[in-house]
Amino acid sequence: MRATQEAVLAEMRRWGYRLVVTPTLERLDVLALGLDGEQRRRLFKLTDGDGSVLALVGERTIPVARLVAGKLRSAPLPLRLCYTGPVLTNDPGRFVRRREAHQVGAELVGASGPVADAEVIAMAVRCLDAAGLRRYQVDVGHAEFFRGLLDSSELPAALKSGVEAALGRRDFVALAELLESTSLRNAEHELLLRFPALRGGAEILEAAGALVRNRRSERALQELDRVHELLRAHGLGDAVSFDLGAIRDFDYYTGVIFEGYGPDVGRPLVLGGRYDRLLARFGRPAPATGFMVHLDLVGEVLWREGWSPALTRLDAGVAWTPAGLEAALRLGARLRLFGMRAVVDTRSRGLEEARGWAQALKARNLLHVDGEAGVVWAPAEGPPIRLAPDEVVERLTHTAEASR
Amino acid sequence: MITVAIPTGTLLEGSLDLLRRTGALDLGAEEIGRRLLVERGGLRLVLVKPADVPAYVDHGSADLGIVGKDQLWESPGDHYELLDLGFGGCTLVVAVPESSPLQGPETWPPALRVATKYPRATAEFMAGVGQNVEIVRLHGSVELAPQVGLVDAIVDLTQTGRTLRENHLRVVAVVGSSTARLIANQASLKTRAEALQGLMGRIRASLGEASPSLGGRGAAAPGGRP
Repeated sequence: MRATQEAVLAEMRRWGYRLVVTPTLERLDVLALGLDGEQRRRLFKLTDGDGSVLALVGERTIPVARLVAGKLRSAPLPLRLCYTGPVLTNDPGRFVRRREAHQVGAELVGASGPVADAEVIAMAVRCLDAAGLRRYQVDVGHAEFFRGLLDSSELPAALKSGVEAALGRRDFVALAELLESTSLRNAEHELLLRFPALRGGAEILEAAGALVRNRRSERALQELDRVHELLRAHGLGDAVSFDLGAIRDFDYYTGVIFEGYGPDVGRPLVLGGRYDRLLARFGRPAPATGFMVHLDLVGEVLWREGWSPALTRLDAGVAWTPAGLEAALRLGARLRLFGMRAVVDTRSRGLEEARGWAQALKARNLLHVDGEAGVVWAPAEGPPIRLAPDEVVERLTHTAEASR
Repeated sequence: MITVAIPTGTLLEGSLDLLRRTGALDLGAEEIGRRLLVERGGLRLVLVKPADVPAYVDHGSADLGIVGKDQLWESPGDHYELLDLGFGGCTLVVAVPESSPLQGPETWPPALRVATKYPRATAEFMAGVGQNVEIVRLHGSVELAPQVGLVDAIVDLTQTGRTLRENHLRVVAVVGSSTARLIANQASLKTRAEALQGLMGRIRASLGEASPSLGGRGAAAPGGRP
């Protein structure tokens, strides 16, 4: 997982995102500014000595927002920030979620519009590439498309909130019942009922455009169209699909949203989108968009595809007999000085026993020090050679370069 | 390959009947016998306990699942609830002994003691009517609890009301009604959209063809309550 985390962070750095570190423990009233009731309930909570309620972070966008509005208050916008770390949540579903999950995320704060949206989507796709995923799918949608549908559905307010709640629960049976309870019928109702099927290539934008009759949804479709053009310029025209029926927290997300899926994983690997209202709650109003990658789920996919973590390269195992201990320690220090990775044994061994030891460590070279004067070098291939201590570094550097 | 989680028990017959009508799979309950996994014609059926269907679907081990709404009350999750399949109809009710003075919610004591297999749905309903409640979670023979003084009332499923009558219980409130539902994994809907939408279209069509009286409803559930 470290390797995946590193690969994703490295990709984010290539896009100019700065790594920020936010605390694992936050005051609940701070986190609560960005969470709904259900998300708040899921946080692990504890109390501080003075009686204030603290919580372990359940996601890291809110701490980043607080940072942008606090410590980074005078930093000019837009800010490009990334973060990584564990997030902790209770599991009300008993079996769906791990309590502790690892995430890497990025936030682009202070930029609005399709150019910024396309940047984070493109970066998310590149992050999945960088992580080593070969098969994945990224779906782009828009929170305003749904808002527009609901606005123009001509439903009474009470029914509207019922519709929103049913959709939030992904309960289309209840949704159908609610819509059937009114005599009203329009294209928007039809679209709401077909929500899970509003997915496809760029052609779905046109198809939906022909059906909607409200400004808000139309504008959302235009924005998605523009994002599609920009993604093509990013070299990712075919890498993404469009999902107008993506269901997310529509109170939080305000614009383009997206999610990434892997093969045979029941949940999204990547979640992202525009949340233009959050920063204002911390006193620094600014548009923002971002995403996070579920490292545990990405790791699951990679593991199933037969990927195994690259073993840490170890250049040398330095073994010794009592007379050579101090020379061995000096040799280890010298190798590290030249950027090589070296382990010096903790107890003395003869040359034959040391071979087994070095093999178990998967060291490329065995160096056996049996006195001040000489070192026996046993490379992976070929017979052992006796070298003067000064020669060792040069010889090892040569073989390392030759094998690369 | 689409994987569908099917519940054993009272909904099994109706589930297989549904798949037969969609032309997806023609398999009788007796053919399945004791097998828990059947693969045929691009479809894989997993037979699991009714309460476990949401687990298989939420995890993505099954793309689709057929499950009673009563189970979804107890295990809400990230799945999509797509269709009311119409069969397996039953009602979750509050019932008290015939001799009890209790009638509607206005006559209930300040704190009602209730036995049930459905603690979540019960708690939600009681909160909705403003009733304080002490819930005793049981795993079977819930009808017995009020007769031996364990609780004031029970919250349980009933199909025909026969079991309640046999145990001298009468219904004082309805918590909700349940039928079989089609649920889908959230990621499968996106990553296997075409295959899933195809099968769902066929299921929808077969529901539309059913007679308005939904004859399957009674036929699918012989023998009253489980």
